[in-house]
Amino acid sequence: MDATIIYMAITYASELTLLSIGFTLTYLTAKIPNFAHGTYAGFGIYVSYTFAKFFGINPYLGFPIAFIVGGSISIIVFKLVISTLTKMGSGSIVLTIATLAIQIFLGALLNIYAYMFIAFFKQYATAFLLKEYDFKIGDISGIFFVSIGISIATVIALHYLLTRTRMGIAMRATAEDTELASVLGINIVNVQLFSWFLTGGLACLAGAMIPFWLQSSPMTGSGIITSIMAGSLLGGFESVYGAIIGGFTIGMSEIMLTLGGQLLLGNWFGEYRPLIPMAFLIAVLLIEPRGLQGFYERIKRRRGKPTPKISEKKEDDK
Amino acid sequence: MYANVALGILSSLPMAIEGTNRLIVDIAMFFGLLVIVAMALNFQYGNAGIPNMGCAVQVIIGAFSVSAIVLRIMFTVIASAGVPLEDWNDPYFWVYSSPRNVRLVNEFLKVNAPLAIGFFLLSVGTALVLGAVIGYLLALPAIRLRATYLMIVLITMADASQIIGRNVTWISGGTMGVWIPNIFAWYPGDVGVITAVITLMIGLISFFIFRTMLNSPYGRLMRSMRENEVTLGSIGKNVVDIRRNILMFASGVTAVAGVINVYYLQFSNESGYQRAYWTYWPWLMLILGGPGNNAGTFLGAAMIIALRRAIIVFKFQIMQFFFFPISLLEDILLGGLLVVVMIFRPNGLIPEKLLYIPGVNYAKMVQEEVKVDWRAAPKARAKKSEKKEETQK
Repeated sequence: MDATIIYMAITYASELTLLSIGFTLTYLTAKIPNFAHGTYAGFGIYVSYTFAKFFGINPYLGFPIAFIVGGSISIIVFKLVISTLTKMGSGSIVLTIATLAIQIFLGALLNIYAYMFIAFFKQYATAFLLKEYDFKIGDISGIFFVSIGISIATVIALHYLLTRTRMGIAMRATAEDTELASVLGINIVNVQLFSWFLTGGLACLAGAMIPFWLQSSPMTGSGIITSIMAGSLLGGFESVYGAIIGGFTIGMSEIMLTLGGQLLLGNWFGEYRPLIPMAFLIAVLLIEPRGLQGFYERIKRRRGKPTPKISEKKEDDK
Repeated sequence: MYANVALGILSSLPMAIEGTNRLIVDIAMFFGLLVIVAMALNFQYGNAGIPNMGCAVQVIIGAFSVSAIVLRIMFTVIASAGVPLEDWNDPYFWVYSSPRNVRLVNEFLKVNAPLAIGFFLLSVGTALVLGAVIGYLLALPAIRLRATYLMIVLITMADASQIIGRNVTWISGGTMGVWIPNIFAWYPGDVGVITAVITLMIGLISFFIFRTMLNSPYGRLMRSMRENEVTLGSIGKNVVDIRRNILMFASGVTAVAGVINVYYLQFSNESGYQRAYWTYWPWLMLILGGPGNNAGTFLGAAMIIALRRAIIVFKFQIMQFFFFPISLLEDILLGGLLVVVMIFRPNGLIPEKLLYIPGVNYAKMVQEEVKVDWRAAPKARAKKSEKKEETQK
């Protein structure tokens, strides 16, 4: 077995971790699965492309730009569609369909952007790989270290944000109960804008790292959404820490199980790679719909240490 | 123009179906096809509140049931009748000898009209049963959970069914596809016309079935479930079972659309059943027309199909203005229209009204009086109870 495939699996898993964290944060703040989340990653892919092939700059320098681009798209989507629909009192089903519509719309915009390069600049932009722009440490390509570093840094920063800063605590309060948080004087709109900016930025940043190791096209981003949802669902859908574990597990298993299946059963198994996250999705829903978080709470309860509920806490205070 | 179409149907002149008339037949065909899907969707989402994002799965099951099951039965029956068919048992020969076998079957069906009609009915029946089975399986993981979980499962299943259809050759020929016999070969006129007529007829039948169901006590149960599940559960109804039954029934009806599509194209391949086409466009029809009433569904379907056909017909004129493929323009229209309709017309073009069906009495069908005049209703009830008492005496 080649060692590079393990590095590739870890790279993919850490990118998927970033995407799953963003997906979970959106679910926490807006209570809807954002199907357009994968398409944000597609925009990241094309930020990298524009930097490398159009401007001729090292695409690593485009990462901050990718973060800002993703955040801006996310904020525009939130302001124009999600927040408007929420104010109108639409239910979660209508909001989810709206995110699907946004996914189609943004995917088409991305395709048009790619075709623009073909039409006006004679660059073949619908399928590309940026491996030659990557640096190498020993035999290992640099994106391995960069993606792992960025995802670990994000996790630490996110932990600090959610537990130590005012904004993070306000975010958690908003996720628990929006109306109660607004009563306590938290500016809900600002908190939601910040969290949507963060999720879009993280998704776009993760997308910007994809073309270094995978041949990318405008559809790569929206194709990854099943893995993102599986990762988030494995983590429990409502827990950021669960999403970290879930995203990494799904990313690793998607590549390692495909490899194992190919070695054991034959090459035909590779065709079924997209079915692996779907299988995880259904298995999680059948066994424990609340994912790893529910599993963790169940174990805790069995040991006789019930998780402190809000109502119990209040009684203690009295 | 309409006289020509009618003439084409009646006297079956192949001359009548050309140019604009061909376009009308095509629009009628796709209207019938997508209105079945949209009506089933209206049944599920508009009336019962089940967000079925898996129309593509249900349609693909109909298509696969023809290519994987009915086609084999057809070959077996026709080979036993003495037609020298080539080997089709091996997955390789299943694809390789498909064109020649289908040509032989077509020649056979040209003479034996009753057999062809029997095969068509068989495939519709198979699709109904298999669709219901797949509806049960789809409901299994997420029917008890929140609606968004169900949406996620159904959307991923649409992709999964395409991947399986692409790689398992014996289902629908894998990437190559399988040819499907012309089931209307016995009809002397144009095949497109009879397919369109039969599609519209099936659409009409399913419309009446849905309407009857929506005006029955079960329909009121569905609408009450849409409004408030908890209340319904508190009065002793099993919400999960109701939801599963509705999903199963509607999947069966949606699968019939897949069967007709396969027979119209005379070709079966997974690539024609993308979720963008078979899930999102019906959803747009439903939301544009107004969820909850069938008139809205018809209006939405007619508008969207006219729009899409217009884009396809005037493709070359439109292409001059854009540097990208026209399919992307369709995507932008789809996404943009969905959002715009949701924001500016949340109830659709025809908002849902209280159901009132004048004139037609379905009492015999559903064992209930539908002629409701609310002021006279207590009297009618009193009369009914009097009658009952008399019979008891």
